[in-house]
Amino acid sequence: MKVSFFETGRYPVNSDAPREWPVPSAAYDPETGAKAYRAMVERARFVQKLGFDWISLSEHHYSPRILTPSPPLSAAHLASQVDGIKIALLGPIVPVSNPIRVAEELAMLDTMQPGRFVFGLLRGTTNEYLSYDLNPKEARERTDEGMELILKAWAEPQPFGWQGRYFQYRTVSIWPRPPQSPRPETYALGVSAEASEFAARHHLGLGVSYGSFDLMAQATGYYRERCAEYGWEPGPDDIIYRCNMILGETDEEADAALERRKSAQAPFPIAANLAKALIDQDRRNVGGAARPANVGRVLPISFCGGPERVIKQLRQAREQIGVGVIDISLTDPGSGDTGAMMEKLELFGKKVLPHIREV
Amino acid sequence: MGTFREGFVEADGFRIRYMEAGDGPALAHLHGAGGLRLSPAHDLLAKQYRVVAFEMPGFGASAENTKTQSMPELAATMAAAADQLGLDRFNLMGTSFGSKTALWLALQRPERVLGLVLESPAAIRPEGAAPPPSSPEELARRLYAYPERQPPAPPVDPAIRARTQKLVARLRGPDRDRDLETQLSQLKAPALVVFGTRDTMIPPEMGHFYKELIPNCHLIFVYDAGHAIDAERPEAFVEVVGDFLERHEAFVISRTETVIHP
Repeated sequence: MKVSFFETGRYPVNSDAPREWPVPSAAYDPETGAKAYRAMVERARFVQKLGFDWISLSEHHYSPRILTPSPPLSAAHLASQVDGIKIALLGPIVPVSNPIRVAEELAMLDTMQPGRFVFGLLRGTTNEYLSYDLNPKEARERTDEGMELILKAWAEPQPFGWQGRYFQYRTVSIWPRPPQSPRPETYALGVSAEASEFAARHHLGLGVSYGSFDLMAQATGYYRERCAEYGWEPGPDDIIYRCNMILGETDEEADAALERRKSAQAPFPIAANLAKALIDQDRRNVGGAARPANVGRVLPISFCGGPERVIKQLRQAREQIGVGVIDISLTDPGSGDTGAMMEKLELFGKKVLPHIREV
Repeated sequence: MGTFREGFVEADGFRIRYMEAGDGPALAHLHGAGGLRLSPAHDLLAKQYRVVAFEMPGFGASAENTKTQSMPELAATMAAAADQLGLDRFNLMGTSFGSKTALWLALQRPERVLGLVLESPAAIRPEGAAPPPSSPEELARRLYAYPERQPPAPPVDPAIRARTQKLVARLRGPDRDRDLETQLSQLKAPALVVFGTRDTMIPPEMGHFYKELIPNCHLIFVYDAGHAIDAERPEAFVEVVGDFLERHEAFVISRTETVIHP
């Protein structure tokens, strides 16, 4: 099994800062921000030394919880200063992006350091529909079409036009083209039937996140079924699982931390009425089974224990979900206590990582 | 399809049926291997053009065609049919099999063809491509990305199907037709090649060959459409076809207004 560290650009938030998304930028401190970006580089070097295979990035907006609104910029920042470790952009939020721009920027990265990057394309979390004024009802279809256009822009050798439902271009011919043909290492991200269908049809990997083993297995089971329909079988590296893990020196220590977290609130929730209005309009599913969107709730813990128990759980995840890449950060995004996180990462690197290679 | 009226024209000893509607510049259409099939796109095109959709000799209920031996011959016959209808200079659209006829016609009569539209063209196919399927169910699966969204196809007389298949097999030519491909550099008319991204009859990846071979060629992918783009995404198809026929190369310049409030 491969291990990825989910880098969120940790920004320590003052206790008196506003706690509602979107967080007023009046509360932002430039020096803390600059420090957070420098620390990203240090952490990348740190986890690389510990033996992590990837460092992953995401796109989120309007809050200090995750300070990386542009994945290509985050990736270029890290890649130019840290050697070796693979960088996974998980990923550009496709329905709010210009797909051609995404195709170009990812091709640029892949050209600057061929094979260094992994790309994930996704619909995005529900609150992000507000970031760039996306109609929630169009999110799914814009994502599917945008992803298709990105793949086309990478692969098509001659200038072409695109007559879509949501995107129209009469002239597309990107330079540079990604060095890997027909495309760089790419995943569709999400637990929905649509993400699986798209990934299966285009021979892409699948990235799932933040749910119980049962739910994730439901999604990856559906993905494998669809892949079989299209005549191929995904391998372990084709499935990424981004999740929360509480790792303690002992099971008791981890269990106590889990107990304390039960009363935790999401760090920057959306106002209740707005969250409800969003949920009403956002149709989500796991492998085709309807499931309400998660708006402003705490994300679940999937792994909890001392090193031995966590290793067992990782084996179980491999068997049940088929996951080959586990993507973790060991403390909740939004927590600025990077000292505690570094300790946990070190513990993971020493006590867990060496035992899961053969999983 | 209420606005289309049936007509017949004599050419090369054939009695050729056609369906016609609309006013404006002439747009002749040559159908695919399945024969003449009017789609919502024809209705939309007829709002801007005088659309003449031919049924090529040997297709549909017309008499068996044992005379035509090659695609260039069929193209010459269709040019003669256009002559008979008084189509002096016209736009020409070919669908799938008919796109090859259209290409030959445009090469033979460059002075006549104002603009050329090739819908899901089958003139260049991957080596070893299977001929169009014969069973109606398999045909529907290969024509449409979403066959379930299409109205049920009218039943086809097995005798007609057998006659048509024989004709198509004789005329479709090799997957890579060197004779045609070497001449494409001479093509005078601006050409628009349109593929659906979900085409399983002819891979849309064939599109770039036309761009490489035809001097003034544009390639458009219609998202989420199968082989029968005109039936599956008629508005998207007609918008780009109409824009191209009106503006030729300049159709790449956007006229979409994006001002939100003045």
